[in-house]
Amino acid sequence: MNPEFRRNLWLELTPRRVLLMTIVLGLAFFAAALSGGTDYRPAWFAEMFYYFIVVIWGSRNAALSVVGEIRDRTWDGQRLSSLSAAGMTWGKLFGSTIYNWFGGAICLAVIVVSEFVHREPFVAGLDIVYFVALGLISQAVALLASLVAVRRRQSHSRFGLFLYQVAGIVAAFVVFYLWKAADPAGSFITHKPASEYVQWWGQNLDARPFFLVTLALFTGWTLVGCYREMRVELKMGNGPFVWAAFLLFMGVYVAGFDAWLAPTAVKSGWDAVALRLALAATTYACLSYVMVLLEPKDRVHYRWLGGELAKGRIGGFLLGLQGWMMSYLATLVVAVALIIGLARAILVADAAVIASAFAFLTRDIGIFVLFQTLPGRRRGDFAAVAILFALYVLIPAILRGLGLEEILAFFLPRPTAPFWMGPLVVWAEAVAVASLALGRVALSDKVAAEPA
Amino acid sequence: MIEVRDLVYEYPTKRALDGVSLTVKPQTITALVGPNGAGKTTLLRCLAALEAPYSGAVTINGLDTRESPRAIHAHLGYLPDFFGLYDELTVRRCLLYAAWSHGIAPALSSGAVEKAARRVGLVDRLETKAGELSRGLRQRLAIGQAIVHEPNVLLLDEPAAGLDPQARRDLSALLRKLREAGMTLVVSSHILAELEDYCSEMIIVEGGHVVGGKPIKVRDDERPRYLVELATARSDLRSFLTGAGIDVLEADDHHALITFTRNPGARAKLIRDIVKAGFELSSFGESTRALEEAYFSQVAGGAGGP
Repeated sequence: MNPEFRRNLWLELTPRRVLLMTIVLGLAFFAAALSGGTDYRPAWFAEMFYYFIVVIWGSRNAALSVVGEIRDRTWDGQRLSSLSAAGMTWGKLFGSTIYNWFGGAICLAVIVVSEFVHREPFVAGLDIVYFVALGLISQAVALLASLVAVRRRQSHSRFGLFLYQVAGIVAAFVVFYLWKAADPAGSFITHKPASEYVQWWGQNLDARPFFLVTLALFTGWTLVGCYREMRVELKMGNGPFVWAAFLLFMGVYVAGFDAWLAPTAVKSGWDAVALRLALAATTYACLSYVMVLLEPKDRVHYRWLGGELAKGRIGGFLLGLQGWMMSYLATLVVAVALIIGLARAILVADAAVIASAFAFLTRDIGIFVLFQTLPGRRRGDFAAVAILFALYVLIPAILRGLGLEEILAFFLPRPTAPFWMGPLVVWAEAVAVASLALGRVALSDKVAAEPA
Repeated sequence: MIEVRDLVYEYPTKRALDGVSLTVKPQTITALVGPNGAGKTTLLRCLAALEAPYSGAVTINGLDTRESPRAIHAHLGYLPDFFGLYDELTVRRCLLYAAWSHGIAPALSSGAVEKAARRVGLVDRLETKAGELSRGLRQRLAIGQAIVHEPNVLLLDEPAAGLDPQARRDLSALLRKLREAGMTLVVSSHILAELEDYCSEMIIVEGGHVVGGKPIKVRDDERPRYLVELATARSDLRSFLTGAGIDVLEADDHHALITFTRNPGARAKLIRDIVKAGFELSSFGESTRALEEAYFSQVAGGAGGP
């Protein structure tokens, strides 16, 4: 048995705790059955208990599985063990939440029996997949958030732990919302009729199975994310191929939803290929923002990376690439393809807006990196986000108030006359910020070499 | 055993290690000393393959820490300066977990646990919860966890901090036993007195550099250090000893620190020669502060302790 899982069993699944959980849940369901009068009532309580025990409490335990080790100063010992990254990941994920899964299994049994009796076996089967995947993705997201924070060296506080737990709960809420939106019996949440079909890559697909497959895939990617972060903690390198595969998956997945944009796009002359490229580019740009915010922007690492490239050590360079760098490159490739496609379709103004948008992305990444290299960089990300808020929200609001709409294109991706004016100015901004950021990274080499 | 070449380690705002090179010989206990903030812990973490160097290389048993960190972890034990234990687990379970997580097969783990517990003197407390142990016993358990897989390199960061005198003495004895069992130990501390008992080599780290550029031999079982003390000052003490073919490390008008054979007959002859030459010998004995003397003779200025 996995030693980490076994250790968690020793700590979490003591006979006294098992008995306590069984008695409390048994009494709760018995009371619900007695007081409710309808057969659904224990199932409803079971669902609520499941959300609390597996999602809310389980996310906390999953987030605590590594952060708690760091806090209790046992993490270095674990990092020095012979456990593989996969073994450590599943040992922590399922070990730390084994008590939650024990309680969740009791709740799930009540839910499934009720569904089986009152609806149909197929629905009961779907429910099992949904509930298990829901618990798994919430806990995996919480663990992933905590591992990302550990890599950023900001992991110990109670507030931090709460944030990782919230990340898991938010993921679960998104899953819950989409599931209810596709559930004929549960669409009251969205106040809309249930979505029976999803149009994806031109195909009409049954909403609930499509949703469950999507959920399974995203849960899988989240687990892969945990595994890769664990590899980093265990000082094992991560190659670029898994992230490249994730980018490919995300591009293909999101591009399939072009039908959602079709009504507005038809008017402006965009074809399906352009729409799909735009969706993929937007996805990659979003991933670039998310990753540049989350990943540690360590100038020592960047200098090392530059050194590897300069020495022609491509293997080392690829191993050191960060997620935001690859996402940015993917955005570049897709954005260039989109610009070429739009230019060929004589949609030059639209192509110029795409070029501006990519320049904004370049500038914004430069801002994130630059603020991490400035003195007092502990709050560098916060300062970068504040600057971006000013650039995208405050300044445009002021310009609108002053009636200077024509300058807005320098702060937001908008068409200009002539069409090249917008991209030219924004690229000038981007090059300036990127140069400053690179200059700071290079400068810190000399600063660091001086006696501290 | 341990080779470090031009090691550079940088934090974002500071270069913690700047071109460190050193060699640690097998089956030795090497003291890693220096003032607080000198880079001792960073160096130990680089040796433990817990931190990747910015440049340079660390090899342990011929394996590079950047290329094969996990293979190194399999043959290495590390006790950080601030360590934690699973307080709710018994000593046996703590050691069992350590054994399993270091890849010891379940069938062999009981034997490994018994051996580690015996080495650290916790056989009679195997069923006690870790949270109920005293500071000294917790230290022993932590070392037990670090050696349960029989590593050939053991790195200890400030292992005696917070221990009472008896626990320190026990720790010294334990470390000597581990060296005799074939382990190579590197022990970091900024309290020199506690290292005197068991260290044979010393590496002084200051400002991210190794002072003197290499480990210093502080204990030679064949030729220990002796302190010669005179009742009356004589300015020719050094020249007399040097003339007699004695290796003089330090000398003034009242004292001389020499290295000399452990042979009792040779020592008796040397004492006779000193007295015969008219020196008023008040004391002749093996130096018990070899490490401290070596430290201050290396560190520029000599004033101010580490």
